[in-house]
Amino acid sequence: MANVIVNRVKEFLKRFPPFTFLNEASLGLVAKGVEVKYYAQGEQLFRQGDPAQDFFFVLKEGSVQLSENKDGQERVVEVCDEGDVFGVLALLGKRPYILTAKAREDSLLYAIPVSIFEKILNENSRVSLYFAAGFASGQVVVRSDLSQSQKARRDFTELSKDNGLMIFSGQSDLNYSTDVLTCMKGTTILIAVEKMAAKGVGSIVIVDQNQFPLGIITDKDIRNRLVAHQKSYDTPVEKLMTSPVMTKSKEAGFSDLYLTMIKNRLHHLIFTEDGTLKSKVTGILSDHDILLSQGNSPAVLINALMNTWEISEIAKIRNRAESLLKYYLENEVAMDFVANIISEINDIIIQRAVQLAINKHSPNNPKASKVKFCFLSMGSEGREEQLLRTDLDNAIVFEDVPIEIAEDTQAYMLLIAQEVMETLFICGFQACPANMMANNPKWCQPLSQWKHYFSDWILSPNQQALLNATIFFDYRPVFGHKKLAEELTEHIYHEIADKSIFLNFLAKNALLNPPPLGFFRNFLVEKSGEQKDKFDIKLRAMMPLADMARLLVLSHRVVGINNTFKRFEKLSELEPNYTDLLLEAGKAYEILMRMRAIEGLKSGNSGRYIHPEDLGKLQRQLLKNTFAPIDELQKIMRIRFQLDFFTS
Amino acid sequence: MGWLDFILGKKTPKSSFVEAYESGFEKKISDVRPISELLFVVLDTETTGFNPKNDHIISFGAIKLKGFSMPVASGIERYLDTPVQNRESVKVHEILYPIETSPLKDFGKDMLNYIGSDIIVGHHIGFDLAMLEKTLQPFGFKKFLNPVIDTKYLAMRLEKGPHFDQSTAIKEEYALDAVCTRYGIELDDRHTAAGDAFLTAQLLMKLLKIAATKGIKDFGGLIR
Repeated sequence: MANVIVNRVKEFLKRFPPFTFLNEASLGLVAKGVEVKYYAQGEQLFRQGDPAQDFFFVLKEGSVQLSENKDGQERVVEVCDEGDVFGVLALLGKRPYILTAKAREDSLLYAIPVSIFEKILNENSRVSLYFAAGFASGQVVVRSDLSQSQKARRDFTELSKDNGLMIFSGQSDLNYSTDVLTCMKGTTILIAVEKMAAKGVGSIVIVDQNQFPLGIITDKDIRNRLVAHQKSYDTPVEKLMTSPVMTKSKEAGFSDLYLTMIKNRLHHLIFTEDGTLKSKVTGILSDHDILLSQGNSPAVLINALMNTWEISEIAKIRNRAESLLKYYLENEVAMDFVANIISEINDIIIQRAVQLAINKHSPNNPKASKVKFCFLSMGSEGREEQLLRTDLDNAIVFEDVPIEIAEDTQAYMLLIAQEVMETLFICGFQACPANMMANNPKWCQPLSQWKHYFSDWILSPNQQALLNATIFFDYRPVFGHKKLAEELTEHIYHEIADKSIFLNFLAKNALLNPPPLGFFRNFLVEKSGEQKDKFDIKLRAMMPLADMARLLVLSHRVVGINNTFKRFEKLSELEPNYTDLLLEAGKAYEILMRMRAIEGLKSGNSGRYIHPEDLGKLQRQLLKNTFAPIDELQKIMRIRFQLDFFTS
Repeated sequence: MGWLDFILGKKTPKSSFVEAYESGFEKKISDVRPISELLFVVLDTETTGFNPKNDHIISFGAIKLKGFSMPVASGIERYLDTPVQNRESVKVHEILYPIETSPLKDFGKDMLNYIGSDIIVGHHIGFDLAMLEKTLQPFGFKKFLNPVIDTKYLAMRLEKGPHFDQSTAIKEEYALDAVCTRYGIELDDRHTAAGDAFLTAQLLMKLLKIAATKGIKDFGGLIR
């Protein structure tokens, strides 16, 4: 830590409210968390409709304007000056920005992370009051001094009433339900659930004889409090409900409603006539309604992707897809749907990246750019299972060319690949640590060389070849001439048909991974190192399933199905003797994918290591249940591929 | 390294942290990597004088920069055990007493580990690198392997064009104070290593944005 730098930031901040209210220690904490950012004149800091970033801004030097785009008209709302704070409301409300911020001059900004500031908001009542006052008056910018603020307003525009609390776009675009499903206290849960099912809703509000709200029961409560505890269906609703509920009046401003939900981690907020518990229920607002109001639907995202060639824009959309993913996972949306959406988004990004690279480099390479090629995704992305932006595995296959232009052709393909990788890195994807990427000359080859690679792996299946097989056999064409990929697939099946011993090796490899459970049915966790006491969900549970699905698909010569749970689905049709088991294996894989993705989003990593102790009892049981089909399938594989007689 | 060792051609054995540093350069930065994705470490040293042979580093300061953003928490400063406290330099730099000094070996290890394979940036950086290289010599360190950008020459290149003969530049015009003033960067905390590194980092951001308007947009263009 460089104290000189921290002090400089501190000295600046403490001249301006709300930092003036902080003591030395808090101020030091804030200063250490600052990121110093630079924007050239004309650059945008954020745009109307963008999701809130996880920091807000203090202008250090320069000038920034906030403007609103209404019906295609750009209107400057505020001009910020040294010491002004902005971007706060979007942040605390976790709502998209409703204004666009643009540097009017070259500007230096201090970005302050909300995580640090939230702590201070909780501890320092003066600071929180300061912000609360800002909310109430609808201030967009926390002014360094008031006269400035009034001047700016007079100069640019009159803040009309409907612009109050501008960061929240008003209640009009928020659709919440006024037709609330209720039931009287004393009703049995069975009747309540029947009502919910009949109306197709996920929650029911429990009321007394005056229609005053007492509590709420949601789908989740039925699972966690009723079924999991094996309670009788005759249990009265008040025994299961969440009580008391949070109530507000419909007249309450949206920011108030929204902040109440955020602060109390509520999924539902109930409206009553006068906003208290002692008044009639008139409406219900769910977090789902809020998600919809944010415009984070797959259609919106995909449409946005199709309409931009800006890399920074593409990167932003990919980040938005992550919040969508999080919502889907938490709400248990079907896995094949989720995986499909995310793969679709990733594919579009890759296609855009390749097209951008071609546009950039083909003019300088008139000859090489005529050569047909296909960009392949491999590994989990190839299987359409990559939910988080973990390692990139990909390759390029191009058509065979005369020897005299072979070198130039590969050089051009590598240039394209490198450009694509750079774009994908900007979009938040991680490089493959083993360098299985198209910008590696080894994996950027003409079709004949690829055929040669695969023949080699199939004919002499050593350890490395089998490792490659697990990644490369799951390739999927994403951009370019699919014919090249199809020809390669044909070649692979042809080779395997002649050399069925390869499948035995592959089977052996699939059974190499250690079992998930120990003798006493406890999780086998890592013994030492950084992941001590954690369970490797990828190695011990997911890979065995993915490996067996691949093996069986290859043995049945199935083409074009890459996704592990879809493979199991297909296999269940092909092997009527094992239909149930194979379907169960597919289901297990879906559950594992979901668990891993949730863990990854929660801890900001690949989600590969799970702490069994941190899982709830139900989750732990669910995880253990996924192991049964693994075990069963491995036994079958062992017999079918004669592994007990098969040594070497 | 004593003179006898020198004559006998004996080499100073490499410390493990020097080896670790050197092994970080196996992968080259791609020429087409955009400037916004490059990792920079902006550094400065304060010394007892201007002769790398006889003078010593008093303090070292640095901060990291990526994508036109620098986390304050990434800044570091270190004060070194210096054999001589030169009165003159004390006057210039106003470091009257060593604050909390680090032994050379700890410093060397921390510094190389911090810098890693990032692009090194500094104003008149050649001097700082020479001083650092000398300081690390006892640990078998030879030279920095990182790509290097001197904000002084970058400013000249952007102001006078790529074919400008940099030896004809007026020295005073390209001192850190002068360049910062010219680009509207507020001076204060001058003459502390970390303070100067912080200034130089702001200067770098400004220069890189100007470079972008002149078509210098990726690593290849920047390093030439």
